[in-house]
Amino acid sequence: MLNARQLRRRLRALFNRGAVERELDDELRFHLDMETEMHMRNGMSPDDAKRAAERQFGGVARIRDDARDVRGVSLFEDLGRDLRMAVRNLRRTPGFAAIAVLTLALGIGANSAIFSVVNGVILKPLPYPRPNQLVMITSQFNLQGMHFDQFWVSPPEYLEFRERNHVFQDVGAYVTSAANIGASGQPVRVTTAFVTASLFPVLGVAPRMGRTFTLDETLLKAAPVVVLSSEIWQSAFGGNASILGKQVDINGVERTVIGVMPPGFDVHDQGVKIWLPLLLDPADRTSNRGAHYLYLIGRLKPEVSLTQARADLETLLAQWPAADGANPNATPGQPGFVHTPNTVKHRLRFDDLQADVVGSAGTTLWALQAAVALVLLIACANLANLLLMRAESRHKELSVRVALGAGQGRLVRQFIAEGMVLSAAGAVVGLALAYWGVHALAAASAGSIPRATDVGIDPRVLVATLCMAVGTGLVFGLAPMLHLAPATIGTTLRDGGSRTTANAARHRVRRALVVAEMALAVMLVIGSGLLIRSLWNLTRVDAGFDRANLTTFSITLPGATYSDGVRVAGFWQRLTSRLATIPGVTRVAAMSGLPPQRQVNANDTQFEGIVPTKDGPLQNIDYYQYVTPGYLKTMGIPLVAGRSFTDGDAADAPPVAMINEAAAKRFYPNQNPVGRRIRSNGDTIWLTIVGVVKDVKQGGVDAKTGTELYYDVPQMPRETGFAPTSMNIVLRSSLPPSTLASSIRGIVNSLDAALPVVGLRSMDDVFADSVGRARFLTMLLSIFAAVALVLAAIGIYGVLAYAVTERRREIGIRMALGASRDGVLAMVLRQRVGLAAVGIGLGLAGAVGATRLAKSLLFGVGTTDPLTFTCVAAFMVAVAVVACVVLARRATRVDPLVALRSE
Amino acid sequence: MPRTSSDLLQGTLDLLILKTLSLGPMHGWGVSQRIQQVSHDVLRVNQGSLYPSLHRLEDQGLIRAEWGTSDNNRRAKFYELTADGRRHLTRETTVWRDYAWAVHRILALA
Repeated sequence: MLNARQLRRRLRALFNRGAVERELDDELRFHLDMETEMHMRNGMSPDDAKRAAERQFGGVARIRDDARDVRGVSLFEDLGRDLRMAVRNLRRTPGFAAIAVLTLALGIGANSAIFSVVNGVILKPLPYPRPNQLVMITSQFNLQGMHFDQFWVSPPEYLEFRERNHVFQDVGAYVTSAANIGASGQPVRVTTAFVTASLFPVLGVAPRMGRTFTLDETLLKAAPVVVLSSEIWQSAFGGNASILGKQVDINGVERTVIGVMPPGFDVHDQGVKIWLPLLLDPADRTSNRGAHYLYLIGRLKPEVSLTQARADLETLLAQWPAADGANPNATPGQPGFVHTPNTVKHRLRFDDLQADVVGSAGTTLWALQAAVALVLLIACANLANLLLMRAESRHKELSVRVALGAGQGRLVRQFIAEGMVLSAAGAVVGLALAYWGVHALAAASAGSIPRATDVGIDPRVLVATLCMAVGTGLVFGLAPMLHLAPATIGTTLRDGGSRTTANAARHRVRRALVVAEMALAVMLVIGSGLLIRSLWNLTRVDAGFDRANLTTFSITLPGATYSDGVRVAGFWQRLTSRLATIPGVTRVAAMSGLPPQRQVNANDTQFEGIVPTKDGPLQNIDYYQYVTPGYLKTMGIPLVAGRSFTDGDAADAPPVAMINEAAAKRFYPNQNPVGRRIRSNGDTIWLTIVGVVKDVKQGGVDAKTGTELYYDVPQMPRETGFAPTSMNIVLRSSLPPSTLASSIRGIVNSLDAALPVVGLRSMDDVFADSVGRARFLTMLLSIFAAVALVLAAIGIYGVLAYAVTERRREIGIRMALGASRDGVLAMVLRQRVGLAAVGIGLGLAGAVGATRLAKSLLFGVGTTDPLTFTCVAAFMVAVAVVACVVLARRATRVDPLVALRSE
Repeated sequence: MPRTSSDLLQGTLDLLILKTLSLGPMHGWGVSQRIQQVSHDVLRVNQGSLYPSLHRLEDQGLIRAEWGTSDNNRRAKFYELTADGRRHLTRETTVWRDYAWAVHRILALA
């Protein structure tokens, strides 16, 4: 333990280093002078006296060191001195330092940026209290011809589950939608959520102002109320605290504002801006049993784990049918049949809420993190190599220092200090790059990654960056030590720095580094090759229609003002015919669902003349599509059989429908569906199928095509009293959306000034968005692969260049003795291309293992796609050969005499 | 052949320095000269050991240092014994005598 006096001395030594050093110098000089004087008194000449004194005195530097060590602050002092020396050394070779810092900055910066995303999306807990208690509850269907792994839950199922489970504190339900709000002149469409009163307590978030819904406000006849998000409160209502109790217009309904949620409050990353009560009759357990449209979120009791909850669910599911008095053997339509969840065909599933929000994006992000870590490894290997070579060129300097008494530990510290200075500088520049990179990533991901608003550089990212910097610094620092063992340092002076001694160990290290670099680069390039092929396949998928030259946008009619189906259908008819008058627009149609990113409908449907059997296909249609008559021609969807809807169908003609090929194959195998009749469960009027059309990719370009049923919008009010209030309009025109925009807005505005035009863009953009995540991943991974490739190429070139330089004398001798240029060339190539081949081989093997983990990211291409593997291997061999040939030529151009003299 | 203090145990050099300083404040060079004279040139203190020892003793609080003026009017750092150092010297002198006596006995008789 230090006492106060010692501490004072140490602090003085540390912070007033200059004065302490000066005193020591003075003291030693005084001693030297006294010694000199004594020798002069004994009759020596002044010069001799001085020399004698110095001889006797020994190394001043050494004494200074030892005296300093006694002060016990040498650790800090040495650190400072080592760092200063490191900076001095690096400044002597600014080129090397710049390359090293830049390489590191890129490597560390890219890693920090990607880690910010991984951290924000996957690692950072959801912004609710005790988020690990929150569970996403969805249903599953496992029926003949119908498999859904994550489906909605129906209202009676929700009410019963809430009552009967034993593991949740409470369960809330929600369904998201969109609404027009017309607060400040310009109408906008925002995401809304209809939620149960219990959802807010389940999530554990209180409003910043006012209150959330009471149970009474979620009953069927309740007065309309609304809870606003902070964001909409600020942007549309000016952040005025007097908003509470005021009436606002949401989708044409005047609602009383009762509360404002805190900033950033959301559910399942849906971007909800308006919270509305989900109206349910808690007593009604019979109607809507099969209408699945709710998502549930539950908060587990504190002592219950997710595993225990799942065990409880098994019991609940097993007892559910009996609890509702269902006859387990009855099929739909038979007496005693009650739709309930059960253990086999219609299960519920529990997922950790955060895992569910992250979903499949997790794989994408981890793949990116792995890729960018590989890039950093390659960068490290490169720099380690550079430092090795640099250390070799400093071999003599180091040997001199050892001979003069520098301790081994001092040299190690010196190297680590240089590594640390490099990596610290790299980390600082890297963080700046990461700051910029995070913004670039957010822009590039364009909605394809959940929780994008949670991404940023936070303390955890800083700590990760610091760890990377220290880790890389240690690696570089220690790399040169690999061949600076004490024995070799001692010998260098003796062999006069000549390079003739084959330093086998040193070469082994460098070769291993090159092989590793090559292997890692091959893995990355193969990964990016496979992803590029996947993306290519995705963009080439036949979506079933001609998506070029299509402009689309959507319109939602507020239900309050457009309550009458005839009026709604009339609006769509007027809108489409007015839009068709825009110059340059050839055709216009409206449709309820916009491919290719629709949610599945999975509506129970009746097929006249087909008796449902246990083995037969479940009588259910995946996608209902409500269209105006011009749909097929506008979209460019080929008709396979029968006819399309016509304007004549709108009048008093019999009700008609179309189905797609998939539905025809499933429900009318080897029969002609045209002329058969079909209707939705619960409808009374049969529709006659008049046409069969080509399949459209409604639910994703990478998904299997579903069954489709087309309704004719003009006919719908007559059949059902209903017409869809939210439609997607498509215009076929060679003009771009930006040119059409003002005409479109003008026409919509002239029909109803309160209607916002939403999502105006080309159909190509819609498709590009649908593969946005694949594009994001492919783009980034390709950039990383390219960087890796360049780094590896530089690494190989550098090492080979050094090896060739080292062998200049040998090559010179060989050529002087008459070896042909080609012979020497072949010799160099043989030895070095082999090295690259080993790396490529290892990389291919590694890629086979690594790509298997990323299988879910690929589309239409195997994890060991022979074409990709062959091309990449060939490409990498070419890179290696070019590097070698360039070098070998340079080496053989050497004049033998110059080469011989050069050492 | 004069012996240098590098052959001396470290504790021994410390003891010699403390003893030398017990006569009064002295600078480093004076200490080395004094040890050399008194031991009739048998013991020669290497400066490489002397100054680290002085600094260590100072650090331990057994001696303290002050800048003063030497006989030839030069600025020099003078060391003097502290109360702790005096006690330490007494204790260590006894220990050393016992030790030397023991070694002497063994060499003479064993």
